[in-house]
Order: sequence, then C-alpha cells, then structure tokens
Amino acid sequence: MPSRYDWVIWTVFWSGLALTALFVGGPVLDALWLSLHQASSFIAEPRFVGLANYGRVVVDPEFWRAMGNGLFYALTSIGLQVVLGIAFALVLNQTFPAQRLVRGLATLPYLLPTVVVALTFQWLSDGSVGLVTVLMRDLGFGTIPWFEQPWTARMSVVLASVWLWTPFVTICVLAGLQTIPPALYEAARVDGAGPVALFWHVTLPQLKPVLTVVVLLRGIWMFNKFDIIWLLTKGGPLGATEHLPIMAYKRAFSLFDVGGGAAVATLSFLMLSIVVTIYLRLFPLEEKR
Amino acid sequence: MASVTLQGVSKSFGSMAVVDAVDLSIDEGEFMVLVGPSGCGKSTTLRMIAGLEESTGGTIRIGGRDVTRLEPRERNIAMVFQNYALYPHKSVRENLAFGLKMRGTGKAEIEQRVTRAAQMLKIENLLARKPRQLSGGQMQRVALGRALVREPDVFLFDEPLSNLDAKMRVHMRDEIARLHRAVGTAMIYVTHDQVEAMTLGDRICVMRDGVVQQVGRPLEVYDRPANRFVAGFIGSPEMNFVEGAIEQRDGRLVFAAGEFTIPLAPAMAGTGKVTLGIRPEHLERDPSGFAARVVHIERMGDESVLTLDAGVALRVLIDRDDDVAEGDTLRFAAPPHRLHLFDKEGKTLRI
Repeated sequence: MPSRYDWVIWTVFWSGLALTALFVGGPVLDALWLSLHQASSFIAEPRFVGLANYGRVVVDPEFWRAMGNGLFYALTSIGLQVVLGIAFALVLNQTFPAQRLVRGLATLPYLLPTVVVALTFQWLSDGSVGLVTVLMRDLGFGTIPWFEQPWTARMSVVLASVWLWTPFVTICVLAGLQTIPPALYEAARVDGAGPVALFWHVTLPQLKPVLTVVVLLRGIWMFNKFDIIWLLTKGGPLGATEHLPIMAYKRAFSLFDVGGGAAVATLSFLMLSIVVTIYLRLFPLEEKR
Repeated sequence: MASVTLQGVSKSFGSMAVVDAVDLSIDEGEFMVLVGPSGCGKSTTLRMIAGLEESTGGTIRIGGRDVTRLEPRERNIAMVFQNYALYPHKSVRENLAFGLKMRGTGKAEIEQRVTRAAQMLKIENLLARKPRQLSGGQMQRVALGRALVREPDVFLFDEPLSNLDAKMRVHMRDEIARLHRAVGTAMIYVTHDQVEAMTLGDRICVMRDGVVQQVGRPLEVYDRPANRFVAGFIGSPEMNFVEGAIEQRDGRLVFAAGEFTIPLAPAMAGTGKVTLGIRPEHLERDPSGFAARVVHIERMGDESVLTLDAGVALRVLIDRDDDVAEGDTLRFAAPPHRLHLFDKEGKTLRI
C-alpha cells in the first residue's frame, strides 16, 4: 500500500544497503580478490596466481596449528563463559540485600575497554612484581610463568576472555530466567522435584532459546577475537596462542605476504560459515510449530 | 486417601493478615470448595495446604500427619494450576509421567498408570504431542491427568477453569465432578465463581478478607447464609438488600422502609434497624402484595429480570412474560420463610 512515508523507507533501506556494500561487502570482496593474487607488499603490483595462495596455506603446518589454537580458545572460553554465566545469573536471580547494586557490579567487566583489561591482567601476572605472581610465590606455589609457557599462556588468554565476557552471558541468562513462569517451578515442586531436578527439568529447558543465541553469538565473536589475544601475547609464546585471525594479520602486515594473509582470512570465514550453518540446523532459532 | 485439617492457619505479611486463623476440616473423599471474591485469601489458603506458601501460624494436617513445615513434594498432594503449568518441552506422556519418575516409580507401573489416566480423560491420542499443540480444554485435561496419575492423598485445584471459554468450562466442570466420583479422593477446589462452588462442592467454604464466613453444604449456605456478605455472594442475580426496621402495623409484624412494607412471619421478632434480604427468585407476582413500577426489563429467554421501583429498588426474577412492559405497575409478594434479616453488623438474625 503506497503511503507518504514510502520515501522514508526507500531512502533508509537503500542508503543502508549502500553503506553495507561499501564498508562490509567491499573489503570482503577485496580480501577475496587479494587471496587470488600474489603481492609481496601493499605497494607491489599484485599478480594473479589462482588458488596458489590457498594451496600454500593449506599445506602449512602453522595454519593447522593456528586452527587448533583457535578452536581450543573458542571452545574453552565459550564453555566457561556459559557455565559461569548461568551460575552467576542463578545467584543474581535470588532476592538478597543490595541486589541491584550487585547486579550492576557484576556487569562491570563487560563495560571495560579490552585494552584496560589486557593491561590489568599483564600487570597482575607480571613475572616479578605482579600481584598474583607475588601472592602465589609467597603462598609457596613458586613463580608461575603466565605468559612464557605455551599452556599457561593459552589458559591466561582464556581466563582473561572469560573474565571479560562472562557478564554478557550472565545478563542474557538473567533476562531469560525472569521470563520463566513461576507456576512451572511450583508444579514441579508438587510433582516431587528437588533443586537439582528443578534446574534440569524446568530452568535449563526454559533457557534453551536464550542459550542458543548466546552460544551462537559468543561462538562467532570468540572465533574471530583478535584484540585481547594480540594485546596479551601477540600470538606467542612460540605461536601457542596464535589463531587464524592473528596468523592472517601477521602474514599480511608483518611478513607482507598479503595474498597468503587474505587466503587465511577467507578460509577462516568459510569454516565459520559452515559451522554456523550446521549449528543453526541443529538449533533453529525459531521453534518449529 | 486422607482427610485434611487446618487449625488456626494464618498468613501475614508484616501486620497485614492475608489469611486469618482459618479452621477447616475436609473429610476423606470430600469435595470442598473455597470460594470468595479476589483477594479473600482462598488461593493463599490452598497454596499453604500445598506447601508452596509458608504459613505464619497454625497447623496443617493431611491424614493426621502434621505437614505444616514440609516441602510440597513431601506432602503427597497433587495440584492443578490456573494456567495449567504443563512442562512446555515435554510431551503429554512425559508430563503425565514426570511426577512418578521423580518418585522413582518403576517403568512398567508408570506406563500402566499413564495409560489408565489417559483413558479416563480421553487423551490417549494426544500422548505424543507437545503442550503448545493442544487447545485450552486439552491442556486442562492433561493437567488433570498429571494430578490423577500421582494417586495423591488429596487433590488441590487453583481456579482450574477460569482460562476456558464458557462452554468448555461447563463441560470440564462435569468432568471434574465425574473424576471425583471415580477416584473418591478428597479434593480442595478454589474458585471465585459461585456457580462452580454450588455445583461441585459437597461443602463450600465462603471466605472474605482472609476470614472464613461460612462452611456448609451448598444449599444450606444458599438457604441460610450466615451473614449479609455470604447472602450477597451466593446466588445469582444477587440478593436484594433493603435498609429499614421491624414494625407492628395493624397488628401485624412487618418490615418497613418508608412507603415499602412486606409482612414477616410472627416468629421473626426483633427490633430496631435491620436489613432485609430477598432473593430475586423468591419474589412472586401476587395480587395482594406490594405495588411496584417496572423500571427496566432484561429478557434472558426463559426468564426475565425486572428492576422495580417499590419505594425501594428491587430486582425480580420471573418466568417469561411477553405482556410485561417497562412502566407497568405490578404487585409482588415473597413467602415470609424466604426472607432474611440482618443486623447492623450484617449478621443473620436467626429465627
């Protein structure tokens, strides 16, 4: 039905589409184009090489190691965020004094800039004067080389990420908890359910739609996460925390292998798309009628 | 099967008493209806019996066992909720089986009990469905079934029919009555609908502001309401109330309110200001009665409700009469034994 607001809708729609094409579609296509060319720097004239960059990257053990690191980082940090996020939300959903204040404080990490968090973690875990380092040493645990050993570095990155982004899960789950009809809990209590059964048979199934979205969003973000890892370890030590985004960045901007970097980024994007598609098949966002 | 006894059961928030010292006993196999306007404490009373709400005073016994401080699951009760409260992600079969599963009943017995309950409620063909694929009436049946399979000591119903349309409500009312006859277990049923109370209850308990007003068989409550509140709450259309006094006129005992007088039975002696109660269905056309002008007519088919001006406003329920028109003056009388008198506090003056 034509109306006098039609022009508003058209203007907003087309300008939105144009901006998206320019600032999202453009770089994506440019990266795709670059991945099919050989260029040893951003200045040199790119030379078309077909799929040679992909061939080169796929046989590179560094690529598969980065892939493994990325999966480890994404899966552990999402897993911990979701478990802790649900736990915190369950606690915050209880009634207790100063509830609003505590709820506000609990979301604080999420509001901090990543740089601040990274610097704080580095300072806490500094090898000689770090608060945690000193505390652990004085308690007799010895000096833990947080960012110097591969596995401690991996765990440190995961911990910082979990600390930073768990509040997102907490907020979403808390909102989800408040939509659960109290009568369901009452019916289950009358039916004989204890606290564990209540969580398992009422809370968790009722949270499923929220958790589906949360895991999807966090999954995409954690797989593509660049800033926190770069700030904490730059992918080190010895590539232990180097995942695909960092590898792509290093290829393109440190080694000036622009084509190779673009190929890594494209492969990363492709794999994420496949995983997301499978995920949405398994857990459709809209309930089937 | 068990009886339920409430002794001085109370619930208060600070100084506000929502339920105030309720004494009530429900016999084995009895159908007790708690009825009253919203906020009268009937639901809170039921929820205290269920253990979903903690009582702040008094004792609740089920089958002689003191359950006042027990968890709902330790009371062996089953409850049907207003919004059905079916587990949305579970199939009808799983909904029915859940309570038994929680209690560690064996697989074979669960299967057998679920099948039996499904047959009783005619929901066998729905067992594989999810609640969202059911109509309101079907969901209510499943909710009944979930209570039924448990074979509890007592069934609790919290306004179970208020979300259904009028026709389905009448149907499910019969269904619940039939169920009660079949299982013979005590049932406590909360409703604000006095028709449900009258038709379902072996006895009804009328509540107001957290206080029990009267407990009795439905017709007993209808015939002999304990006070003005009960008299007004039970019966439809509502009882007429007229403020006035008992007087002697021409050697006869009458109730008088200005011009309006109506003869009383000689035994209804009393003095001073009283309130007269007459049910609309107890006023009859009578050439020797008082005169009243018809102000308004509501024709409901078989019957009509007339609003009368007889010096005081009265409503009358009469059989269909197409000749009566607004503005007519007619004569009415009521049999003296159908009249009710209430004192200043609203208490019934017993004859």
